[in-house]
Amino acid sequence: MTDQVLAVEHHHDEVGTRLGFWLFLYTELFLFAAFFLVYAVYRSSHLEDFKLAAENLNTTIGAVNTIILLTSSLTMVLSLDALKKGSVKLAKLLLLATVALGVAFLIIKGFEWSAKFDHHIFLQTVKGIAAGHGSPLLTPGEEMLPVGQVLFFGLYFVMTGTHALHIIIGATWMLIVYFWISKGSINPENHGVLERCGLYWHLVDVIWIFLFPLYYLVA
Amino acid sequence: MNTHEQTQSPRLPIIVFAALILLTISTVLLSGLDVGNTTSLLIAMAVASMKAGLVLYFFMHLNHEPLIFKLFLGVAFFTLLAIFVLTFSDYSFRVLA
Repeated sequence: MTDQVLAVEHHHDEVGTRLGFWLFLYTELFLFAAFFLVYAVYRSSHLEDFKLAAENLNTTIGAVNTIILLTSSLTMVLSLDALKKGSVKLAKLLLLATVALGVAFLIIKGFEWSAKFDHHIFLQTVKGIAAGHGSPLLTPGEEMLPVGQVLFFGLYFVMTGTHALHIIIGATWMLIVYFWISKGSINPENHGVLERCGLYWHLVDVIWIFLFPLYYLVA
Repeated sequence: MNTHEQTQSPRLPIIVFAALILLTISTVLLSGLDVGNTTSLLIAMAVASMKAGLVLYFFMHLNHEPLIFKLFLGVAFFTLLAIFVLTFSDYSFRVLA
């Protein structure tokens, strides 16, 4: 009995673990799919407002952030390759580069968001949802955004916000993995954790690949 | 046999990365075309799907995974497709009061 339990504990199925992790990734995909579905329905009913609202977003900033995330995916792939080949130092360097690119993405996103705050787009969005038309919450002289634009910015903040949260989780995980590589518990023979961390990071990249055209290229 | 453990030369990821950057630049340029809302969105989504495909297949190593991984992706894709099609088959034919 005890022997059997031990045998189970020592058995490690790398392919099965990876398959399970892919299943988790699909739950993440469906979380974002729900947002995309809401976006699709409201876009079809408020087409003009969506186009007008999207003009407030800067395509260049969106494109730069896309390229930053794609580059971070490349450094992640190269980091895993380096670790598998035994170049631990190079793997760590590339992993840090990936974290740095993720942070750069967040900083740019932060500037973008704060510009929206300065233009009261966030506040009007919140008021719009809370109070609807002719809101008593509006201060005199303040104008409500049209409903379609309120929906656009509401979805913009929720979707890019949820995505940014995933960037933070991914970058934090990478720093933990970096620490484990330094300690030696993740090494060229045992690199499954770095591999799954990479899969997570690439999925976050895939989601951004779809967010980018839906928000920055529809004006 | 599990071929996953094979190490690759960094050439393939760099070629894939170059393709991703080229697709990003082309989708920005194509969005400037005046072809109408629906066509423009369809083009952007087609390019995004190609980019996502490249990331899934090469960066996420689906090219080295057993068949079951690809089947899972197929099931997830068709489930999503069904959800979108069913939603719009309902929503498009609603008479809004």
